[in-house]
Amino acid sequence: MLNQIMDWLDTRTGWRQVWDGIFLRKVPKVNWLYTLGSATMFIVINQAVTGILLTIYYVPTPDHAYDSVQFISTQVAFGWLIRGLHHWGASAIIVVAFLHMLRVLFLGSYKFPREVTWFTGVGLFLIVIGFGFTGYLLPWDEKAYWATTVGTRIAGTPPLIGDLTLRILRGGQELTAMTLARFFGIHIWWLPAALLVLLGIHLFLVIKHGISTYPTRGKTPNE
Amino acid sequence: MDEKLELSRRKFMEKVTMGIGGLIAAIFGVSAGIFVVKPVLKKEGEGNWLRIGSTGKVTPGTPALFSLKIERETGWITDQDEIMVYAYTENNRDYAVMSNVCTHLACRVRWIEERQEFFCPCHNGIYDKKGDVVAGPPPRPLDRYEVKIENDDIYIKAG
Repeated sequence: MLNQIMDWLDTRTGWRQVWDGIFLRKVPKVNWLYTLGSATMFIVINQAVTGILLTIYYVPTPDHAYDSVQFISTQVAFGWLIRGLHHWGASAIIVVAFLHMLRVLFLGSYKFPREVTWFTGVGLFLIVIGFGFTGYLLPWDEKAYWATTVGTRIAGTPPLIGDLTLRILRGGQELTAMTLARFFGIHIWWLPAALLVLLGIHLFLVIKHGISTYPTRGKTPNE
Repeated sequence: MDEKLELSRRKFMEKVTMGIGGLIAAIFGVSAGIFVVKPVLKKEGEGNWLRIGSTGKVTPGTPALFSLKIERETGWITDQDEIMVYAYTENNRDYAVMSNVCTHLACRVRWIEERQEFFCPCHNGIYDKKGDVVAGPPPRPLDRYEVKIENDDIYIKAG
C-alpha cells in the first residue's frame, strides 16, 4: 500500500531521484569527523522547530518578555523541554558548526572546485552567530540586557561608521523596546530567510561536488 | 555470499535509521503537540469562592447589586478586574447570583425598579427579575454564578 503511494508520487514528482541523489550518493572512505556537517544541520532543524514553537507563547516587549519566558518554562506543558532544547541547542550549534569548519579547513576540502561551498559556509557561520546574538537578548533579563549593551558598544567603536552602526542595531541611542522588537524580527524572519538561501546553495553544492577524499601527502583532494 | 544476505544488511540499517528517526520525530511531535494545545484547554468555570456581601442586603423579590474585585490570569499576565452581579431571592433561603453582562453582545444591563426589569441599552434587550429574557435579541437568560451561603454571607465562584 505504502509502495503504491510512493510509486504514484514518484511518477508525478520524481522524488525518488532526489532521495537517491541524497541518500545513495557515493562517499569516499573517510572518518567520523565528516559527520559534523550533518550534525550541524540536525541542530539547525532543532532550533527552527523549537523556535517556531516558542513563538506561540513568547512576547517581544520589555513589559512581558521575561514573564512569557517564565510562563513557558514553568507553566506550559513540556515548555521546559522546548525552551531547554532551544537554549542548549544554541550553544551546541556554535560548537558543532565551528568544528565542522575546522574539519573543512584542516583537510583542505575548501579547495577547487569547492571554493563557493566554503564561501557560503562562512556566510552561514556569520548568520549562526547573528542568531546567537539576537536570540540572547530575547529573555530580557540582566544577562541579556548587559551582554547586548556590551556587544552593541563594541559594534560602535569603529571610526566613521561606528555611531550609525550602533544606532541601527539598538534602534536608537539606548537599549529600549525598539531594540527588542528589531532583534526579535531579525531573529525570526531576516536570519531564517538568509539561512534558507545560503543553506540551500551550500547543500546543493555539497551534493553536486561529492565529498572530498581524505588528503594524502603530495596529492590534492581531487586526485 | 548470496544476494539475499547483502540486501538484508542494507535493509536492516535502513529500518534501524528509520526507526530511531521515527522515535525522535514522535517524541518531538508529541511534546510539541501537547505544548501547543494543553494550556488552551483550561475551562472558564474554574475560580475561587469569593464573598460578594451579606444576605441582609438582599430584599426578597428585588435583585440587589454587588460589586466584586477579581484577579484574572491570562498566561503570564494577572489582571485586576471589577465585576458587578445581581443577587436575587424570593424566600431568603435560595439565592441566585446573575451576571450583569447581556447575553446578546456583552453590554452591561441595569435593573430598573419602576419597570421591574433588567434593561440593556444597546439593543433594548429586556430580562425579568430572575434573569429570563422577556423581549429583544438576547439568546438566553442572564448567566448565573455558582452560589453558596455561609453564615449570612453570599459566596460566588469567580475569578
